[in-house]
Amino acid sequence: MRILGLVIVILCGSILIYHTSDFPDWGHPASPASTHVSPYYIEKALDDTAVPNIVTAVLADYRGYDTMFETTVIFCAGIACFFLLRITRRMEPSVTLYRHLPTGITLRIEKGGKEPDDSNIFKRIDTQWVPYDLIINTTCRMVIPFIQLFALYVISHGHHSPGGGFQGGVILGASVILFAISTDLRTAISRMSERLGAFLSATGVFIYAGAGALCLVLGANFLDYSALAPVLNVNSVMARSHGILIVEIGVGLAVMAVMIWIYYNLSSAGRHDEGL
Amino acid sequence: MMDVIAVILLFCGLFFFTGGAVGIIRFPDFYSRLHPAGKLDTAGLLMAMAGMALHTIHDLSMSSLFTGFKILLIVVFVFITSPTATHAIIDAGVRAGLRPWTKKEKEEHP
Repeated sequence: MRILGLVIVILCGSILIYHTSDFPDWGHPASPASTHVSPYYIEKALDDTAVPNIVTAVLADYRGYDTMFETTVIFCAGIACFFLLRITRRMEPSVTLYRHLPTGITLRIEKGGKEPDDSNIFKRIDTQWVPYDLIINTTCRMVIPFIQLFALYVISHGHHSPGGGFQGGVILGASVILFAISTDLRTAISRMSERLGAFLSATGVFIYAGAGALCLVLGANFLDYSALAPVLNVNSVMARSHGILIVEIGVGLAVMAVMIWIYYNLSSAGRHDEGL
Repeated sequence: MMDVIAVILLFCGLFFFTGGAVGIIRFPDFYSRLHPAGKLDTAGLLMAMAGMALHTIHDLSMSSLFTGFKILLIVVFVFITSPTATHAIIDAGVRAGLRPWTKKEKEEHP
């Protein structure tokens, strides 16, 4: 079976490599990409979509179908991580540590001992002893809102400058991961649960595909945002611009949620109990 | 005139960056290496970004002033986050049990 697989892989690979010789040379002026595809984008992108950033116009409008499945790939990565790592069976840790907040004394509770309530007086800490990290906590608390604001800026400003849903989503996800690192995993999960992460990642893909399907319902091609013009109450060029923003928001949501979801699973080996 | 000051500031920034790079290589151990990494990079960034901001607000129009303000915001955020990152790394080193380098110790184990 293994040898059969190897033979198939080598066969397919050699066919692919053999046919790369039929490709035009990289940057060849007579290649189809240089003769009509790129010039079309460069000349018409602004008139077609009212988006000054050609990269965004190509990514989310002309090649929207491709980007939709890139988003789906990211969603699949989150799902795969979940199925590979997540341990839903609750494993009792042999030792749990609690900190008595008024005095700073650490309680070590063996298995079977009575655990204090997670209240304002006792706070559970990770088994690898965690000291007070006031500086890191304060700085992160101060910086995280600005990081999130910047992420929203990157998502919404993708029309005019480098950026877009993927980059902004990653920054948003990183801000929550920073929160998880600066406090602990349980606090982060209590703020943004795994269920919310799964829901948002699916929602992001749904927004993208839904925007495409809405165009289909309104009588145009899939992901042809100019059909959204009557819904958005703008002309067809601006409708394409707004359509790009809608799918970028979908991409941003999906990427953010998947980043956080993968982090939760990886950092705690799927237990969502104690991690990094 | 503004350009001259900007270039001088940029060179000052590069001087600090070079010092930081040399320090990371030349200092004896983990903790002392983080000292140039944290301090000199921050100082170099202040100089370099100030130079860039001066160069940008050359024509004193509204948009260029905003761009200069954004450049200065970079400095503000690096000033907040870079020392914190250095603190976190050193904290991790102490918690992992790495002892600071001393001259005496080196004489004992050459």
